[in-house]
Amino acid sequence: MDPNPSPHPTDSQPEPPEKRLAALSLRSAHLPPDFAPAEIQEDDDDEGYLTAASRGGSSSCAAAAWKDEVDGLDDDKDVDVGPPSPSSSGYAGERGSSLASSAGVDDPQPQPDDWARDKKHLDEDDASASWRKRKKHFFILSNSGKPIYSRYGDEHKLAGFSATLQAIISFVENSGDHIKFVRAGKHQIVFLVKGPIYLVCISCTQESYEGLRGQLELMYGQMLLILTKSINKCFEKNPKFDMASLLGGTDAVFLSLIHAFSWNPATFLHAYTCIPLAQSTRKAASAVLQDVADSGVLFALLMCEHKVISLVGAQKETLHPDDIFLLSNFILSSESFRTSESFSPICIPRYNPMAFLYAYVHFFDENTYLTLLTSSANAFYDLKDSRSRIQNVLLKANVLDEVQKSLRESALRIEDLPADPSSRSVSPPPQFSEDVNSQLLSSEMAIGGPAGLWHFIYKSIYLDQYVSSEFPLVISNPKQQKRLYKAYKKMYASMHDKTIGPHKTQFRRDEDYVLFCWITQDFELYAAFNPLADKMQAIKICNRVCQWIRDLENEIFVYGESTLSW
Amino acid sequence: MGCSSSLPANNAGAVGNINNENSATDSKNLRVKLVLLGDSGVGKSCIVLRFVRGQFDPTSKVTVGASFLSQTLALEDSTTVKFEIWDTAGQERYAALAPLYYRGAGAAIVVYDITSPELFNKAQYWVKELQKHGSPDMIMALVGNKADLHDNRCVSSQDAKEYADRNSMFFIETSAKTADNINQLFEEIAKRLPRPAPS
Repeated sequence: MDPNPSPHPTDSQPEPPEKRLAALSLRSAHLPPDFAPAEIQEDDDDEGYLTAASRGGSSSCAAAAWKDEVDGLDDDKDVDVGPPSPSSSGYAGERGSSLASSAGVDDPQPQPDDWARDKKHLDEDDASASWRKRKKHFFILSNSGKPIYSRYGDEHKLAGFSATLQAIISFVENSGDHIKFVRAGKHQIVFLVKGPIYLVCISCTQESYEGLRGQLELMYGQMLLILTKSINKCFEKNPKFDMASLLGGTDAVFLSLIHAFSWNPATFLHAYTCIPLAQSTRKAASAVLQDVADSGVLFALLMCEHKVISLVGAQKETLHPDDIFLLSNFILSSESFRTSESFSPICIPRYNPMAFLYAYVHFFDENTYLTLLTSSANAFYDLKDSRSRIQNVLLKANVLDEVQKSLRESALRIEDLPADPSSRSVSPPPQFSEDVNSQLLSSEMAIGGPAGLWHFIYKSIYLDQYVSSEFPLVISNPKQQKRLYKAYKKMYASMHDKTIGPHKTQFRRDEDYVLFCWITQDFELYAAFNPLADKMQAIKICNRVCQWIRDLENEIFVYGESTLSW
Repeated sequence: MGCSSSLPANNAGAVGNINNENSATDSKNLRVKLVLLGDSGVGKSCIVLRFVRGQFDPTSKVTVGASFLSQTLALEDSTTVKFEIWDTAGQERYAALAPLYYRGAGAAIVVYDITSPELFNKAQYWVKELQKHGSPDMIMALVGNKADLHDNRCVSSQDAKEYADRNSMFFIETSAKTADNINQLFEEIAKRLPRPAPS
């Protein structure tokens, strides 16, 4: 690969301040325990989100802290006074069941999950001012205009609104054309037509059309994972088919998906990320998964939260990164998987959108879980045996402990970036990391200074995997992190823009960051620097990041069997 | 009576597939595949978790597909019964997959919510389905759950009992929340299991 990107990438103008939208996410892992509620007051497209997916790794005290925050931040409380949600009536009735008991049980202390569901704001509809003010709406509807899913509000009350969306789409289709998007002031309305299913996003978040369309594609994929594409047949038989009830109980899945759009780079990079592990540890896990895959399992995945520990496909079958993301989102956001082992039909959209596979899912601990996918409906007891075999090997090789350790001590810290061997002027590092023995950047260099690198994401194109560095102190709160991801997403869209690109490098400076992007045949690098960073220095640092990644690649990426010897 | 907990992690001894499990083994140690059916939100998972782990979680967690748990029950006559329980999802989209879980089951529990006549009707649908497609000697229980919510009762015990009798099921009202009648339910099923003839 080319070690030097062009020294003259195009500079771009700072963004107008109104483009830097308020950003907030309640991603637990990054909430410091003393995170002040006052820091998050702005309305956001991501309010009050919490499910199992974001819960791993947080202390219970942090969980309690969020709850207060979210209660506090809900500035449109007055619209929340609607009918009590099903879950607030004690344990009566799940959301999505056809009937919710309104019985007044002596209410137990509300759990975080309660208000995760409540955040759908069921009392709202398109006539509510609060509903209209929401920054990002997602809708799924049928081609007859029947609502299937809405991020906010009760689907049934949105029938009229759905019909309007359907009318817009069919008006354009009738003239032999396809509608892609509509711009209306600050709002962008993006459409995606998938046979009898229409998906629509209405957003004033300044995201690109391609980005929003990609999000709708993932929503469609998530829906297929739950129902398969054979749902289309129901519409062939009965165009007025009411599909909403078939998605009953999956609100948490879609909520978690929508939330991931703002914090999980997998949603726009179309790559997955791995948990850093010593090569020998990962090899032990991969070997036993391979063993199982050779005996009738299609795919075996061992994951920790949304990070892959190891994954193996029978006969070199591969899983698309989007499928890995959708599968892990589904599992992590469905609480029941954590209760006991389960065996459920699941469709892997990019593998076969028409058919269900069966997924055996088992959580080894709070956040590490095994998924075995098979096409055989009768394989449960075999898979259960396989799981216990895998578990024995994982325990013997200490894999689960190593995973927890890696989770706690995230490997890629900017401060650990090895210094350029040619420049010896760097002050002695405050401490040495155990896996890097060369000189380190001083913290002054890392967070301030002319070359001040703050954060980077590196995607290996060949492996479909990415790694990102730990967030530094200056991007420590979720709001700042979400803003950075938004900047990356924008960068990604402009780098991959087919009409004016593709580009190889881009250097962009605004009042928040200097962003540098570099794409080669082998990798994509997205890096954020202090806004005062010098261009030449930044490019030098990026070269060092790439070298660093190459040095660590055996620990931070998963290699398939055939390439393990690299 | 004693409940020895056997978490799913340590019963790797079970062999065969999802469908050929029936009551088995020697006359002192029975094993039975049991399936729970009923609409979403009636409390199937709560009943199972109360029985297997003695826990009750008021936040409803929607079951996906089906969860597998097992629990061994010791009866007074010193026989033990190991229940291999399939706790199925009540969501409409999983209805077509129910046979996967109830085929070959030795016992079935059909659950409704005593505060909802609709869910009682749905329970009757499951009873019919089991009569049509389940194994003929399956032991069936009709369970009215959420008995602690008696102030909101919409389905009378009398009606349910009569319906159960007509369909040769036994009937019990339970509360997973207060643990009322949960162990009794499983004990009753255990007692009714066919005992293998002593050899």
